[in-house]
Order: sequence, then C-alpha cells, then structure tokens
Amino acid sequence: MKRGLPGWALRLRVTLWTLIVPPTTWAAHFLFAYLWAAINCAKVGQFATFPWLFVGGTVAALLVILASGWIAWHQSRVPGDAPPHEESTDVDRLRFLAKSTLLLSGLSFVAVIFTALPVVFIGDCR
Amino acid sequence: MRRIGASLAASALLSACNRHQSALATFGAEATNIRTITIALVVGAAVIAAIMIGVYWRAVRAPEGQLTHKQGMRLVLWLGGIGPAIVLTVILIFALPAMRPRVTGAGDLTIHVEGEQFWWRVGYERPGGGVLVSANEVRVPVGRTVAFELTGRDVIHSFWIPGLAGKMDMIPGRTNSLVVRADKAGRYRGVCTEFCGLSHALMAFDVVAMEPAAFDAWLAGQARPAAGAGQGEGERLFAANGCGGCHAIRGTEHNSRIGPDLSRYGERLTLGAGILPPTVERTAQFIRAPQEAKPGVRMPAYPQLSNQEARAIAVYLKGLK
Amino acid sequence: MSLHAQDDPELRAAQEARLREVWKPPSGLFLRWTDTNNDRVGVWYTLTAFGFMLFAGVLAMIMRTQLAVPDNDLVSANTFNQLFTLHGSMMMFLFAVPMFEAVSIILLPQLLGARDLPFPRLSAFGYWSFLLGGVFVAGSIFFNEAPDGGWFMYPPLTTRTDLSGLGADIWMLGLSFIEVSSVAAAVELIVGVLKCRPPGMRLNLMPLYAWYILVVAVMILFAFPPLIAGDLLFEMERLLNWPFFDASRGGDPLLWQHLFWIFGHPEVYIIFLPSIALFAMLVPTFAKRHLLGYPWIVLAAVGTAFLSFGLWVHHMFTTGLPKISLAFFSAASEAVVIPTGVQIFVFIATLWAGRVTWSTPLLYATGSLAIFVIGGLTGVMVAVAPFDWQAHDTYFVVAHLHYVLIGGTLMPLFAGLYYYWPLITGKKLSDRLGRIAFWMLFAGANITFFPMHFSGLEGMPRRVFTYPAELGIGGLNLVSTLGAYLFAAGVAVVCLDLALSPRRKTGARNPWGAGTLEWLEDPADDAHWGVRCVPLISSRYPIWDQKDFVKKVDEGRFFLPDAEEGRRETIITSVLDARPVSVIRLGTPSFKPMLTAIALGGVFILTTFHLYWAALACAFATLFMVLLWLWTGTAEIPEKECKPIGHGIKLPLYVSGAKAPGWWAMFITMMADATAFSGLVFGYFFFWTRHPDFPPADMAAAPGAFWPMVALAVALVSWTLTVAARQLNAAGSVGAARMALAAGAAFSAYGVYAGLAGPWLSGMDPEAHVYPAIVWTLAIWTAAHSGVAIIMQGYTLARSIAGRMTPKYDADVRNITVYMHFFALTAIVTYATIGLFPGVS
Repeated sequence: MKRGLPGWALRLRVTLWTLIVPPTTWAAHFLFAYLWAAINCAKVGQFATFPWLFVGGTVAALLVILASGWIAWHQSRVPGDAPPHEESTDVDRLRFLAKSTLLLSGLSFVAVIFTALPVVFIGDCR
Repeated sequence: MRRIGASLAASALLSACNRHQSALATFGAEATNIRTITIALVVGAAVIAAIMIGVYWRAVRAPEGQLTHKQGMRLVLWLGGIGPAIVLTVILIFALPAMRPRVTGAGDLTIHVEGEQFWWRVGYERPGGGVLVSANEVRVPVGRTVAFELTGRDVIHSFWIPGLAGKMDMIPGRTNSLVVRADKAGRYRGVCTEFCGLSHALMAFDVVAMEPAAFDAWLAGQARPAAGAGQGEGERLFAANGCGGCHAIRGTEHNSRIGPDLSRYGERLTLGAGILPPTVERTAQFIRAPQEAKPGVRMPAYPQLSNQEARAIAVYLKGLK
Repeated sequence: MSLHAQDDPELRAAQEARLREVWKPPSGLFLRWTDTNNDRVGVWYTLTAFGFMLFAGVLAMIMRTQLAVPDNDLVSANTFNQLFTLHGSMMMFLFAVPMFEAVSIILLPQLLGARDLPFPRLSAFGYWSFLLGGVFVAGSIFFNEAPDGGWFMYPPLTTRTDLSGLGADIWMLGLSFIEVSSVAAAVELIVGVLKCRPPGMRLNLMPLYAWYILVVAVMILFAFPPLIAGDLLFEMERLLNWPFFDASRGGDPLLWQHLFWIFGHPEVYIIFLPSIALFAMLVPTFAKRHLLGYPWIVLAAVGTAFLSFGLWVHHMFTTGLPKISLAFFSAASEAVVIPTGVQIFVFIATLWAGRVTWSTPLLYATGSLAIFVIGGLTGVMVAVAPFDWQAHDTYFVVAHLHYVLIGGTLMPLFAGLYYYWPLITGKKLSDRLGRIAFWMLFAGANITFFPMHFSGLEGMPRRVFTYPAELGIGGLNLVSTLGAYLFAAGVAVVCLDLALSPRRKTGARNPWGAGTLEWLEDPADDAHWGVRCVPLISSRYPIWDQKDFVKKVDEGRFFLPDAEEGRRETIITSVLDARPVSVIRLGTPSFKPMLTAIALGGVFILTTFHLYWAALACAFATLFMVLLWLWTGTAEIPEKECKPIGHGIKLPLYVSGAKAPGWWAMFITMMADATAFSGLVFGYFFFWTRHPDFPPADMAAAPGAFWPMVALAVALVSWTLTVAARQLNAAGSVGAARMALAAGAAFSAYGVYAGLAGPWLSGMDPEAHVYPAIVWTLAIWTAAHSGVAIIMQGYTLARSIAGRMTPKYDADVRNITVYMHFFALTAIVTYATIGLFPGVS
C-alpha cells in the first residue's frame, strides 16, 4: 500500500454506482443550472449580479467530482501487475473501475466548467 | 478531391443566380457576424479533418508494435481528450458572447409579424403611435436598430431572413423578439422555416431594406389610402363577392383582419406570400383558384367569377398604390 | 461430474443429443412462429428492420426525385409531407433502434457465452409488437393516411384536429406501441449484460459490445419514457380536447418540444453507440491485438450517455428561450464531442499499435469513420448557437444529420453485416461485391449530402416539397439527387450480395480469426443451444488467450454441459465479478408472446380509429394474457433445490430478490415508469413557470389538500402492508402475509377512489384550462398505478393460495414490493404536487 493512501478510500466499496458518481454530479449540476436560470428568468425576470447560489452550486459540484476522482486515483494505484488490467482478479477489476471513474471525473470536471461559462459570458435573461 | 470539386461547382452554380435569400450573401449586421463565425468554424473543421485523415493514414500503415501501449494511451489522451477540450473551450469563449442580442433603445422601430397558414401579417409601430398593417412584405431602414416582435396565430412558423439575421420561431402564445440592423439597401427574401402544414414550402415574403429617409417617407405615406381605393368596377366586384369579409383596404369600408391586408397591393413585389409575380393575369387566376397556386390556403376559390370579372378585381387591386 | 468425465465421447454424444432435443426449434407452418430462441427471433427482427429501412429508403428516393429540379410536380405537397414524415419516423423508430435491439438479441448471448437471454419470451413479444406496430405505421401511406406533421410532430399543427387527420393518431399510437417494445428490449438487454455473463467474466473483461449495449439500454430507459409521457398528453389533447399544447387555454406548444427532444437527442446516441460497439468488436480483430484503452471506451460510452441528456434544447435554439438557457445546452453540446473524440482515437491507436489486415468490414468501418467525422465537425458548428440560428431547419442540418447517421449508424451496420454474416449463416459475403457497394455508398453519400451544406446556407429550408428556380439552388439539388440514386444503387448491390449468399459454400469457423466468444459458433453444426457449455473466462479475448479454449468448450469441459432434466437453462452470475449465483430455466416456444402482442396492439390500433369499446376489450385481453404468461411461465418452483453445473459447483434453481433476473426486470421497468412519471411532473412545473399565477387565481376548482392527503395516506398504508406481507411470508407466517396482501389490495382499491376524488369532487373541468388538465393527468396516472397494485397484490395472494409461492420460494412478493416502493414514491410526489404545492407557491 502506498504512503499517504487513506485506508477508508480503499475500503470504499467500488461498484457500478460509484462509477457514475462524477457524471451524475455533472447531470445534477446541469439540471440545477438550467432550473436556476429558467426559474429566475420566468419568475423574477433577471438574476443577481453576483449569482452566489449558482457559484455555490458549481463549487460544490466541482468538489464532489474532485473528491471522487481523487479516491479513484488512489484506488487505481493499488499494487498489482502492469496495465492493461485484463486479468480476472479482484485487483484488476478494482483498478479498471477506478481508472474509468477517474477518467469520468476528468470529463465531468470539464463539463461542469463548460456549464458554468454561460453565466460568465451571458449574464442576463434576454 | 471530389469535395473541392463539389464546392467549386457550387460556387460556379451560385454565381449565376440571384442570391437574395442567402446566409452567405448578407445585408445585415447579425448575419455578417454569423458569416464570420461560419468561416472560422469551417476553416477549423477543415484543419481538424485533415489532421484526422493524416493520423488515420499513418495508423493503418504503421508496422505492428510501432506504437507502444503507453504511447497509444498518450495519443488518446492528447488528441482524443485534451486537444478537443482546448479547442472547444476556445470556441465557447468566442461563441457565447456572440449570442447576446443587440441592445434596443426607446426610439427603435418595432415591427410585429404574425405567421399564419400560409402568410405573414405585418404591423409597423408608427412614431406617432398606432400600427400600420401590411402583409407578406417587410421593409426596414438601413443603419437603424429594428426589433421584430414575432408570434404565430395558428401553428408554429419561423421567421427567417437569411441575409439579415438568424431565424426566430413564431409560437402561438409566445412573443419572441429578434433585434437586427440592416446595412445594405436592396430587395431580399425571407421564408418560413418551421414546417407549418401543406404549403409550408410556399410561405415566403419580400424584404426591402431602404435608406432611412426613404423609409420614413414610405411609412408616413402608407397611412394614406391608395389613390384608387374604393372606386370602379373592380371595387364593386370586390365588395359584391364578399372579398371584404376577409381583406382590408384602407380608405374603404373593408376593414376585416382575417386575411392579408391589401391596402397597397399595387406596390407589392409578389403575390401569394412571396411565390408568384403579382401580374394582373396571375392575380386573377389566384382569385379564381387559390388552391392551385397554394394547396391548403384558407382563401376559398371563386370559380363562379368569370375570367373578366376576376381580371377586373385584379386590375383594381393592382391600382392600389 | 469431474473434469475427466468429459473425456468419454459417448457421454458427450449423449449430452449433445439431450441438448439438441431441448433446444430443437418448433417446426411446422404455424408452430415455427412460436419460437423464442434468440437466434431465430433475432434474425426475424433484423430482417424486418432491414425491410423497413429499404422501404423508408424508397420514400427518400421519391423525395429526391421530386426535388431534383425546381418547381417540380411529381408528387403533391400532401404526399411529400407524408413521405418525409414517414421517412424520418421509420428510419428512427422502425430501423435504427429496432436494428440495434435485433442485432443485440442475436449477438449478446453469444458474446456472453450464455444459452439465451434471460427472458426469451419477452424478446419474442418485443418482436411481434414491433412487426405489428411497424406494419401499421408504414402501411398507412398506401391509404394516403400516413402521418404528415414531420417526425417531430410539433403541436399545435398536429394536435388541432382541424389541421391534421388520422395520420397524427397513427404516429402517436403506433409508435407508442413500438416504444413499449423498445423498453421491453432494454429490460432484456440490461438484465442480460448484468446477470447472464459467464463465470469469470468480471466487469473489466466484458466485451466492449456488452458495455455499449448496457449503456444504450439504460439510455433507452431514461429517453423513451419522456416521449411516452408526451404521447400521452398529446393523445389526451387530440382525443379528449385537454389543452396541454393549446396556448389559448393556458397550454404551451413548447412543452411537447421539451419532452420530444429529451427523447430525441439521446436517441441519436442510442443509435450511434451500438454501431460504434460493432467497431469495438471488429477493430481488434483486424488489428490482431487487444483493444488499446479499454477503460477509455467505458469512459466514452458512459460519458456520452450522460452528456447526451444535456443537449436537447439545441434542437430548440430558435424558440426564443432566454439566451442563458440556450448557452447551457450549447456548452453541453460541445462537451459531448470529447468522449466521441476519445472513442475515435482509441480505434486509431489500436490500429496503429496492431498489424492491420485489410478486409471488407474494415473498409466499411474506415469509410464510416470518415463520413462520421464530417458529421461530427458540422455538429460542433451547429452547437454554436449563433451559427445554428442560420443553419437550423435548413438543408445544412439535413446534411449534418445524414452524415452523422450514415457515418454513425448505417455504414457501421454494413461493416457489421459483412463482419457477422459468416457468424449467422456460416458463409462469407463477396469481397468483390462488398467493395463495389462500398465505393458506391461512400461516393453516393458524399455526392448527395455534401452539396446540401451549401443549399442550406443558400436559403433552402427543410421539409419543402418544392423550391423556386430563382433561388438558384437547382444545380445543387440535382447533384444531390444523382448522388442519392448512386447510394441507392449501392444498397441494391449489398442486397444482391445477400441474395447470392444461399448459393455459396459454407465457410470455415471463425473466418476472421477473432478472439471473442461469439466466434465459438460452428457453422457446420446446426445446433440451437447457443454454446455447448458455459465457459470460464479469464481474458477479454478468450479464443486468443485461453489455452485450448475452443476445444474445451466443444468437449463440454466447462459449466452446464448437459440438460439432464430436459429444460432450457442458463447460468446467472453476480453483477460485478460474475460469480455463479443460480441456474435459471428459460421460456420455451409459446404462442403467448405473440398473442399478448396482438392484444396490446389492438389497444393502440383500435384507439386510433376511436373504437374505444373494442380497445377496452383488447386491454382486458392483454391483462389476461399477461397474467396467464406470468402465472404459467415465471417463478416456477423447481423439482429440486440445487443442480450441479460441473467442476463440483452446485447452484440453486430458484433465487428471489436482488439475485434474481425477474427482480431486476421489475426494478428496471419501474425506473422507466418513474421516468415517464417525472415527464408529467415536469409538465406541471413547466406550466407553473409559464404562468404568473399557477394555479390560476381565477380558477375556483382545485383538488384542495384533503383528498390528496387521504389518498397519500391510503397509498402508504397499502405499501406498508405489502412490505409486511413480504416479511411475514419470509418468516413463515403465511396466513398473516395473505391477510396483509388482501388488506393491501383493499386499500389500493380505496386509493383509486381517493386519488380521483380531489379533482372529481371539486368539479375540475380538464377541457377548460391546462391547470385542471395536468392535475387530472397526475391523479389518473397515480390512480391507475393504484389499480395495478390491486392486480399485483391479488395475483400474489392467488399464487400463495395456489401453493406457487411459499416462504422459501417468494419471488412474487419480492417483485411486487419493488413495484410498491416506486408506487409509494409516485404517490408522494403526485399528492404533494397537486395537494400541497399550490399552498406553498
């Protein structure tokens, strides 16, 4: 086990559900962003100059994705044989899922940033 | 090679014709901006396509084992993941601000356009108040900001003047705003781009961009009834056949708003919402059998009119200018 | 039975004889159509979808001929509108989606070393529904009654009965029927991938095709139900005059667009990903190496699936929504390019690292990648909203989408056709004809669609039956038409190649030298058992990597090499690590799936013609058939508890709860149901944002809080009683469990009344305004679920009394508990929304 590797991160049960945590976070953030803008524009007619709710939601989403990616990164470095992790063993299955989760975290991180850009560049309800 | 050939052929074919309904031959600020974006995107797409072809070519010709697992993963990461992410971020940074609409002021001209199967009801807000009603033709002043207020009466239509700006849907129950500025005077064409029924393909309109002074004079002049309004044999037949039940002609008793306004029919550039030349002959034919020119049109046919009677009405309408 | 037992050739011959007998397909003029085995049903399914593709292609040829020259009058506007509506609808609903399901039904069991999918009769039901619905929709054009509102069917054009006729109902009801069969197939495929893998095939060893199918089937669960909800609202407006999309009574046409495109955009990826999955199978074969970057493909598939649900508004960029809303979707539309790029580069890297053998399938794959890349690049362009404002609904988009669909679906399917034809028929297709056809298709596609980019930007809108000569796009259109003829000729060459196939000699086993399980199939043997025995897997490419693998399978040296009890069986394994869990008995040939499909089809088709009493009779017939099917064919108590599968492993013959495929099927079906419901709830809150006051201040009638709260309490009691019944039954208190079920059914019955009492007693008129209409809809939806709960509780009670459910064999009560969980959730959301939300807002 590598130095600095938190035990709880390893003990966390890795399943198909943990695989979809990062993209689900993106989806939740996306829905939040869309509803936030739609309800603000339909019911208020505008949104605040500094949209703290939106910023807060975005930061929260990014933190969840980072945490999930960080755990996955540690898990994907569990000792075992070299890539491409294609043995029928527990370690390889864990590392495969962890690697996939890590990649999905990267994609989801970029996608959340993309979703946040419109608020920076558009900034009103027209 | 073939693609280059195709595009050459395309430009050769196009150069011969009238491009008054083209998103590439623009006359408005919005459309010109979008054309610039288009050119940038096309050039970028061509470069990326060339890179892809090059990489693929190399990949299939490379001997076995030329690429190690690690190098392969690096290729996927950089060319498949990070590269596209950077390109897309750049696109977004340029594209998102371009979405912001032109700012409107209090004195700007507002034109209401309502789409109906299969024609356009147009209303100009006059400087002194009130709305001047017209149909199937939109006139805009060059160099001024113009706000179109768009809605649909019966079904969804879409308002598109390719040379002026992007399109905007006309949805029953909603009013959409499209703010534009024309930059070059001339005669252009707009068209319906949301499928709206049988004659969707036959729902177009004329667009005339005018010098500001000419536009102001035109708008002021429109409020007056046309010279020939309410006179002659054509007017008698128009009234007797109930044309006034749907059509309005300023300065006469006919003021129904069901069908297109005909107050200045003589000035119109086309007949039947942008589809036919407005000659006396065609107009008379249209009156007798509108379905033939335009399937599904709401106007009933008048086969009981003789050719001469229909011509008389057409002559009367042509005189309204 | 030990490993060495299989050394005895006589024993092997006896096993094979038994297996052959068990898996013998029914024969005879009528009986053969009762078959449920995946190799037959899958082939029928594929051929039918292919036939619909040819039909829709002919429609396109008529359209291209009409548009060859300006002001043409070959067909009338009316006919043309039917042509393009049917072309799009058929290619999407009757070709692309069913084709993926059909191919998966053939391939998936083979890929997973399973004898069949877990619910063969469900596959057969899906096929018959598809055939019936497809013929109904496609045939309408011969009666000049085909839908003519575009494949997107935007209201109010399509909901106003004065502007649209029978065609709109045919589209809505006929395709709803097919959507039901798609969801059924999705259930089948998800359970197949998760539970029917061979021992040892952990998630990291799954063939990539299975990964893609899993992802796509899950997407179907979330994409189709919103459309089904939309269809429901749509037909309620058409048949009952409830004003969901009528602006004059508070409705909004845009709600349909939202629901349609929440389905419509993921749909593009639903038909694109399975085709890419075919690449993922054939690229390693022709690169002669493992696919490089397996987790990257999983990233791409899962990432695309998620992102594709954040793109739907990019079909609505010109609807005048606030620019900020459009911008979110523009951003997500760009983000989805990343996983797509990753997939393409994974294939390129694999080819680069391996030794490329050129072959007809690889040629098709290369050509389709080239076409797809162009479609992808124009996709990036139309995702830029300002550009889309020009390109939207013009021929530019026609060009874009055909590049995507030809490069991303049709040509990969041809690649798959040339690749897998030997697997299905034992004979290779002609390389010569294949290559001729390829170049005709490739050139034809480009000549047809490349000029359309220009005609679109030169101002040619979509869905026009003609265009004036003065626009100057006649030349471009003529080129497009000639290209289309070339393309059609290419398809004809492919068909010729297929037609010549029966005259060719049977070829070798595994002719491409591939490494995955499906190539165990031996064309010389006419057995229908799927695999001789279920193998133990320790590699992604077992035929390449595992020593003597094919021989061991052929000699039955792995699991389940026999059918001692004369039953069709396959092994169920655990989701993550594919540890053997149980052996299940599979459905055998039966008329029930076909008759159920006919009865259900009757409900949809008769409703189209407003024959409501006959439709109701069909609904009862459907219910009867379903109950009969379930009663006789599911949760059967086995004659013994366990069964040896070889190598000293004994597996139970009956499992219940989360280990059992039936439980998963219920769970997955209810996910789809919950998604459809959330579409309706979305409708409620959508109208809330559309109106300054919702419920409208001048609307006196409202359900109030009392009855909804009563209904909620009743629903929760019914739910509690069902959970109690499960626990009591498991604890052996059968009598108490039966009491709880009976009481639950009684409460469910009262729940139907209490749920409808709110809107009913307050006299809400659903035709007056959209508020009462949507409240009624939510109430009816929940009450109907309460009605289904009565049937389920009653059914389980009857099973218990009949001795078909015992404390030990309790799958029925566990399955209906899953239903009741979702029902409780539905009740909470519905009654809180209609009863409490008006007070909160």
